[in-house]
Amino acid sequence: MVDERAGGKHTNSSISRRRFTLAVVIASIAAAFGSLLSFLKVLAPKQKGGGYVSTIKPRDRLVYARGSNTGNYINISSLNTGDAVLAYPEGKTSNPANLVQLIKLDEKVYKSPTHLNLTDQGLVAYSAICTHLGCTVSWVENRKTPDTSYTECFCHNSIFDPTRGAKVLGGPAPIPLAQIGVKVRDDGTLIFTSGFTGPIGPQV
Amino acid sequence: MVFKWLDERLELREFKDHFLSKTFPAHPTFLLGEIALFSFITLVVTGVFLGFLYEPSSKMVALFGAMVPAAYASVVRIDLLPMGMIIRRIHHWSAMIMIAAILAHLMRVYFTASYRKPRELNWLVGLGLWTITMGGAFTGYLLPYSKFSVTATSIAYYIAKSVPWIGGWISRLLFAGTFPSDGTVPRFFFIHVMLIPIALIGLIGLHMLILVKQKHTEPISNKSKKEADGGRRLIGIPIWPEQAAISVSFYFFLLFVVVLIATYIPLNPIETYGPPSPGTPVMRPDWYFLIVYGFLKLIPGDLSFSILGGKITPETIGGVIFPTFTIAVLALIPFLDRVKEPQNYMANPLHRPFMTSFGVGGGIFLGMLVVAGYIDVLHIAPQRMLVYTIVASIGAWGISYALLRLYNKKRKGGG
Repeated sequence: MVDERAGGKHTNSSISRRRFTLAVVIASIAAAFGSLLSFLKVLAPKQKGGGYVSTIKPRDRLVYARGSNTGNYINISSLNTGDAVLAYPEGKTSNPANLVQLIKLDEKVYKSPTHLNLTDQGLVAYSAICTHLGCTVSWVENRKTPDTSYTECFCHNSIFDPTRGAKVLGGPAPIPLAQIGVKVRDDGTLIFTSGFTGPIGPQV
Repeated sequence: MVFKWLDERLELREFKDHFLSKTFPAHPTFLLGEIALFSFITLVVTGVFLGFLYEPSSKMVALFGAMVPAAYASVVRIDLLPMGMIIRRIHHWSAMIMIAAILAHLMRVYFTASYRKPRELNWLVGLGLWTITMGGAFTGYLLPYSKFSVTATSIAYYIAKSVPWIGGWISRLLFAGTFPSDGTVPRFFFIHVMLIPIALIGLIGLHMLILVKQKHTEPISNKSKKEADGGRRLIGIPIWPEQAAISVSFYFFLLFVVVLIATYIPLNPIETYGPPSPGTPVMRPDWYFLIVYGFLKLIPGDLSFSILGGKITPETIGGVIFPTFTIAVLALIPFLDRVKEPQNYMANPLHRPFMTSFGVGGGIFLGMLVVAGYIDVLHIAPQRMLVYTIVASIGAWGISYALLRLYNKKRKGGG
């Protein structure tokens, strides 16, 4: 009798013991992995800048961003109608958010929503960072009719109309490139006159 | 002599009798998986060479009087070594060939329905191998840290960041902070040379183990021979020595072809791209990313909507949701196309109108997305290309289905 009861008890307790062991194993694994979650935070460092933040200030002077003249002042006399160059504010060339595309077209072609007060002698400047996925935009020049030249991002073929506030003409870009004010100084070199008119960089 | 010495200690004869005398069914398409495996071996060997000389850092150093990222400088130095550039090209070409072979192998398994019971698990392992190989290709892209690498990776960074709710965290985890920043290259290097090879070796081992356990599917032509024989045994050639001789000579022939290609066809000329600088060149990713690249070009820019406080953008749809969806559909196939009895023969694709036409339509769809990667060269408007893509893939599906139905009706009627 006693033996039987003990045996019965033993059977019962062995099942619950197995369950208990299983619960302990699962709990320990869960606890260990739970503690690992804190490592994930270490592995994903906090954002430093928070995307594209321009440091251009009015009166900053424009310099060439690429080519053999890199770092030299841009002079209006070296730009023909239909030309476009990539420019940085002087001394702030390590921040890609400061990169602008400076375009020279006939003064009369600019229409709304271009901010005409931010243009000068046919010069207009837009952020050169595509609003799609952050590639640098390029200039597609039409030599015969310079005013039909346009800005294109060669990564996914977003096309922007420089005469209409860099409106998106085609491709995946969600918003226009932001405009920034430029002005010609007496010596022909250029300065910025404002900040960007809208958000710059990839809109994600 | 050597065999005897080893056999006395390791009992190799048992292994030889059990494993090496196994039969491997012969069919030309069974070599596709081997091409992928052999390319991986080449990748490991050339990767060891490159790993010894590469410097995983994007800190600026002097190279011939100019300041460039250390990673870029070290790759330029590798290119200047005797045979250095060839080794790098062999590495890159092998990756392209490996992915091509994986896809061809996947198509072979799909169209011959070799994924059916009992081989569902190995189908899933295969999909895992494909995904991880793509991860290897992607992380390898950045390492030379040229203008091209940085632009391509930057695009991927913003795609990761565009994922709703968790995108910011995922992108910072994957790229070790924002991109570009100095954390990214070491992290990608470690993933590329450590995590991905280990995962691939493990999964390749599993793939092979399951294959050996379940035995290879056989050509349907073996069926009558086997029934005449009355046996359950596979018909084919023994692993040792016949299949081994074929495989070894096949490997070295493949290596010969890859070296020839790498010698004459330049690939990823980082000296031409130069170190990262303002301005983006006209660029296209390697062919296996053209599908996603083409999709990103086709999808309209204003196709974004918000749910539960998260914004679903076209970048998320094209770069994350679409590839995940494709893999998920493939993963579900063996569980949708179910059979009761285990199948050990390859099916004839012509006898399976629905699955075959679905595969044809899907293949045409992915092919059209590759073409969409070239719309700027072909001068086709994205909206028009989108219509072409949809019409071509659904058309191919419908037409091939109708033709196969007709064929089978005739076949059954005639028989």
